[in-house]
Amino acid sequence: MNQPSSKDRTPILRIERFQNWLRFIRYEPIALVAAIVTVLLTYLVLAPVGSMLVDTVRVQIRDSATTGLEVGSYTTYFLHRVFVSRVSDRLFWTPLARTLIIASVVTLAALPFGAFLAWLTVRTDLPGKKILSSAMVIPYMLPSWTFAVAWLNIMKNRRLGGLPSIAESFGFSPPDWLAYGAFPIIVCQALHLFPFAYLLFGNALRSVDSQMEDSARILGAQKGVIARRIILPLLKPALLSAFLLTFSRVLGSFGTPYILGSPVRYLLLPTALYSSFQVGTPGVSAVIASVTILLGMSLIALDMYFVREYRRFVTVGGKGSMSRLSALGKWKWPAIIFAGLAFIITTIIPLVTIILTSIMYRPGVFSLSNFTLDFWFGRYISIMPGQQGLFLNQSIIAAAWNSFRIAGAAAVICGITGLFVGYVVVKMPNSKTSAFLRQVSFLPYLVPSIGFAAACLSFFAVRRGPVPSLYGTLTLLIIVMSIKYLPFASRSGISAMMQMGNEPEEAARVAGASWGKRMSRIVIPIQKHALITAIMLPFISGMKEQSLVIMLATPGTEVMTTQILRFIEYGFSQLANATVLAIVVIIFFVTFLMERITGSNLASGFSRS
Amino acid sequence: MGTIELKHITKTFGPTVKAVDNLNLTIESGHFICLLGPSGCGKTTTLRMIAGLDMPDAGEIILDGKTLFSGEKGNLVPTEKRELGLVFQSYALWPHMTVAQNVSFGLEMRNVDKSKRKKIIGDVLDLLHINQLENRYPSQLSGGQQQRVALARMLAVSPDVLLLDEPLSNLDAKLRLEMRAELKRLHETLGNTIIYVTHDQLEAMTMSTKIAVMHEGLLQQCAPPMDIYRKPGNVTVAEFVGSPPMNLFSHTGGKQDAVVESIKKCYTEQKERIDIIGVRPEDIKVVPRGTEVGEDTWYYPAEVQTLLPTGSEWIISLLVEDVMVFASVADDPEYKPKTPAAIAVKKNTVHLFDSQRQRIDFSGSR
Ligand SMILES: Nc1ncnc2c1ncn2[C@@H]1O[C@H](COP(=O)(O)OP(=O)(O)O)[C@@H](O)[C@H]1O
Ligand SMILES: [Mg+2]
Repeated sequence: MNQPSSKDRTPILRIERFQNWLRFIRYEPIALVAAIVTVLLTYLVLAPVGSMLVDTVRVQIRDSATTGLEVGSYTTYFLHRVFVSRVSDRLFWTPLARTLIIASVVTLAALPFGAFLAWLTVRTDLPGKKILSSAMVIPYMLPSWTFAVAWLNIMKNRRLGGLPSIAESFGFSPPDWLAYGAFPIIVCQALHLFPFAYLLFGNALRSVDSQMEDSARILGAQKGVIARRIILPLLKPALLSAFLLTFSRVLGSFGTPYILGSPVRYLLLPTALYSSFQVGTPGVSAVIASVTILLGMSLIALDMYFVREYRRFVTVGGKGSMSRLSALGKWKWPAIIFAGLAFIITTIIPLVTIILTSIMYRPGVFSLSNFTLDFWFGRYISIMPGQQGLFLNQSIIAAAWNSFRIAGAAAVICGITGLFVGYVVVKMPNSKTSAFLRQVSFLPYLVPSIGFAAACLSFFAVRRGPVPSLYGTLTLLIIVMSIKYLPFASRSGISAMMQMGNEPEEAARVAGASWGKRMSRIVIPIQKHALITAIMLPFISGMKEQSLVIMLATPGTEVMTTQILRFIEYGFSQLANATVLAIVVIIFFVTFLMERITGSNLASGFSRS
Repeated sequence: MGTIELKHITKTFGPTVKAVDNLNLTIESGHFICLLGPSGCGKTTTLRMIAGLDMPDAGEIILDGKTLFSGEKGNLVPTEKRELGLVFQSYALWPHMTVAQNVSFGLEMRNVDKSKRKKIIGDVLDLLHINQLENRYPSQLSGGQQQRVALARMLAVSPDVLLLDEPLSNLDAKLRLEMRAELKRLHETLGNTIIYVTHDQLEAMTMSTKIAVMHEGLLQQCAPPMDIYRKPGNVTVAEFVGSPPMNLFSHTGGKQDAVVESIKKCYTEQKERIDIIGVRPEDIKVVPRGTEVGEDTWYYPAEVQTLLPTGSEWIISLLVEDVMVFASVADDPEYKPKTPAAIAVKKNTVHLFDSQRQRIDFSGSR
């Protein structure tokens, strides 16, 4: 009666079993797919970060000349230099302290406004709030450094030279503290993150069922008590999470501090990392990058903890979720003005100054003869010898073509990998592979872009086995970008696959379809829209990415965002602004296209990505 | 065609969950067999193993003498080649295909040519009365219609064996009754083997030619519906089949023991083996206290608790010592709640079980 256990099976039977398994892998190649995805992700995600951690204590070729240490030997020299030496203040501690202070100030400035506006649109009878909530997605879609460019247009002074700013044209010469450094960095970051806080908070607020408030009211609680005892505790995790996420965004952003800080050599952590990288001390860069990564990771880890806390609160049966609206009464007009101002300051003003700058010879001089389309279509630009307008400018066209290729390829890789990650995770639930893939594909999200770029640079710059040195190639940029955006793609892949479940594919199996047929006729057609979104979102991010590419772009692989920085450095601000505008137009166009194709709506579908 | 043999099938998930435990079951060609059991007892897993979507850890699956899976040699025939039909609980219709395309897919996989496909699709849709839905997408169908499409999709390839996983559980009560009749009609017309998974005993009783009762991964009993009802093989089956469920008395060391002893007195043969006693609600007569009963009847005092009208009958809940007992009667009862009464049960309707919870059958008189 008893079945022989697996141990007493004869070797011949075991071989036969294996052969059978091999024969059947073409019917159900999930194991193969899982293995390939796992190996690929391990190599591309874990190896660079690990290699960089090793680099903090190991001497590399470029360092051996300056330090006199043998290549490959281990040393604490870099740690010492960054953390305790005489130059450590300049190299690390000052930028770190500034970064932490600025991040706190920015967050504290952006959050209350964002929260207040969210409350206005979710819980009051504010007129036109539908329009407002779609409108507030626009500043969120703008690249983070748009404000910095706009700020320079308005406030730059003679220190940078070049053309006068709008303020100067009006006869006001902004002092350095107003033009560059801490103050403008804080303002620009806060303006950029304010819509982010708004969207994050609005979602949290929307999920609070007003029946909970009603229940408290029925039990005799006053408005103040309800706010203090019911709403605030429910929102606390979301509030903390919003705080940490905005904080970590400031920590990881490169463009704004670079554009506004460089003129006065005001370094934050990301720019300090870039500058140490430019000086050419890989060991020191590795240490700073590691600290950046650790900081970023702990912030996100904390956030995940709070999100989990929050999940505990999510009660079942939220079906009848509805919001009772408070009447604004006499506060209606002040509220409308506040909301309108929020939109004007975060969207209209920066976009208008950018548009105006790109069509005026001298910024801020409103005479008809000062307007021109030369910076767009001109073959010769009188005030910029050797440069052409945007559509004829070889360096812009080359950069745009690079941007397209890099973001496009990365987006396609991301979208497809994301879908496969989802496929494996859903088909092998509860397996170790599935858990591993989930975590590894999420890891790049924890790592600040610039730190990750540094890690990839140190890993891929040299030949490793069959993989040649990738420094200065588009391939490197594509790889790094694909990895960095993988978390979003794989998260959407997982949720799309979860939603579909296994059964449609299994039904096709029962009907006799091979794996190829199942993928091409069932899985991919069902996931068409998810795939389009998973490709287009990374594409949009890739087009405006700066932190990630700044270290990796070389003269041959310049992209639009790095080209903008070059133009600003050369004083070609009109060309810089025209390029910014081109990016913004591309982003809007792709977003519009995506919404059209998939019938989705970015404003309503906003999640924390 | 369509005889399935399951031999020593075992399937564990993770280190602890034994979903199916040494299952031996033969399903003869042309039968309509129900796998019946509470949720989580391994029914779906069994079905998925027959379809080849899950691999057993050990055992053998044989279809018409051909081994599909063997624990020793591994999988011999993949799902794609088993040529079965499987209807999922969630229907799993392909949302991007119309009804006709859904039904056509399996035929395309079998390289049926276009004109023939069209004819078969027409026939199948006719058979299920959904020909007017041909060009709709699944999202435009009601639950009952989706159910029919899911069936049509599998019937189109005329499989010898049709596997159905709780196909009616997402339908409302009226539709469920209708589909039950429909399924039975289909089975009688097509004559293929049907393995039908359900946790609804009424569904199993009404439709199947045989019921296999499962519990915690173990097969409890496999027999025709009326045998399952009249002669439950063990206490688990007795408890699960029947609504309201069978009343059970057992030794607990409390007041209940007196009831058990009182019944035991009625029997002479194998008296020591009797450990658990079961009485179906419809076998209980509620009588006034002190009613004289005959030799063939067991009498015990009780107290009426509440009356629950169901429309077609009354369910009376009574307290017998400290046990809640349900009796179902057709006539309007003349008892008020909280009044004394008694129960009378014909001895030959009492179910007796031993300490191993197995049924005790008497050869002759009792
Ligand atoms: N893929 C799976 N992974 C882990 N456990 C599973 C899986 N499928 C089923 N189980 C477990 O196996 C047992 C039997 O499940 P199932 O066959 O679905 O029960 P039923 O269909 O009778 O409700 C349950 O305890 C269930 O939790
Ligand atoms: Mg089930």
